[in-house]
Amino acid sequence: MVQYQESLDRSFAALSDPTRRAILVRLGRSSASVSELAAGFEMTLTGLKKHVLVLEEAGLVQTQKVGRVRHCKLGPRRLEDVSKWIESYRRQLEQRLDHLADFLERTKGTP
Amino acid sequence: MTPSTSEKSVGVTTPSNREIRIERIFDAPRERVWRALTDPELVAQWWGRGNKLVVERMELRRGGHWRFVEHAPDGVHGFEGRYREVTPPERVVKTFEWDGMPGHVAVETMTLEDLGDGRTKLVTVSLFHTTEDRDGMLQSDMEQGVAQSYAALDRLLAALG
Repeated sequence: MVQYQESLDRSFAALSDPTRRAILVRLGRSSASVSELAAGFEMTLTGLKKHVLVLEEAGLVQTQKVGRVRHCKLGPRRLEDVSKWIESYRRQLEQRLDHLADFLERTKGTP
Repeated sequence: MTPSTSEKSVGVTTPSNREIRIERIFDAPRERVWRALTDPELVAQWWGRGNKLVVERMELRRGGHWRFVEHAPDGVHGFEGRYREVTPPERVVKTFEWDGMPGHVAVETMTLEDLGDGRTKLVTVSLFHTTEDRDGMLQSDMEQGVAQSYAALDRLLAALG
C-alpha cells in the first residue's frame, strides 16, 4: 500500500506541471527525441531533460538512447494508479449509499 | 463501467477518467434524505458502512470543516474536508480527503431532487484533484481553472487513450 501510494504521488506530481502534461500529449501522437521535444516546446535541452526524467520516474514515459539521440515514448504504467485510487473511492461511496438506503428504509415512518 | 447491483441505483457513469457520477433514488422524501446527510447523529448511523463512525467535526456551512473517523476491521480511517456550499435541502458541495492518501482531493457535489411522489433522487458527482491542482484553482478564477485543467486533461487522456 505504501509503495502504491508513493507511485501514485509520483504520477500526480508528474502530472501537476503543464509542460509535462503537454509533453505527454505530444508523445501520445508519436515518439520523439529529447531535442525534438526541446525545439517543439522552445526549451533548453537541460530544462526539457529534467521534465522527461520526472515523467520517466513516474513510469509515464520511457526513454532509450540510440547513438547520441535519446528517444522518448509513452511509458507502460500511464494513469493506472490514479484510476485505482478513483475506483476504490467509487466502491466506498457506493457502499455508503447502500447503507444510506438501508438506514432510510429502517427509519421509515419517523419524521 | 458496470452499474451497481443495488436496486436503488439508477446508474454510475464516468464522463471523464477524473469524474464519477452516481445517481440513486431513495424511497424517502427529500427532507428526510437531507437530514440523514446533514445531521451528525444520523450520519453516524450509516456513513461508516456498518463500521463504528465517529463524527469528530461537522461544521455545516460554507468553509466549515468536517472530519469523520471510521473504525473498520482493517484499521482506523480518517476522512475530512471543507464544505464549499450548503443549500438546504438541495445541494451540498464539499472536498473529500482520506488520511491514507494525503495530497489527493475529491470535490463531491450532492444534489437532492424531489421526485414529487415521496421519493428523492440523489446525484453525486465527484471530481478528483491533487492538492496542488486545488490550491492553484483557488488562487485563480475558480471556474476558468477547472475548465482549463479539464480541457488539458481531456487532451491528455485522448492522447494517452
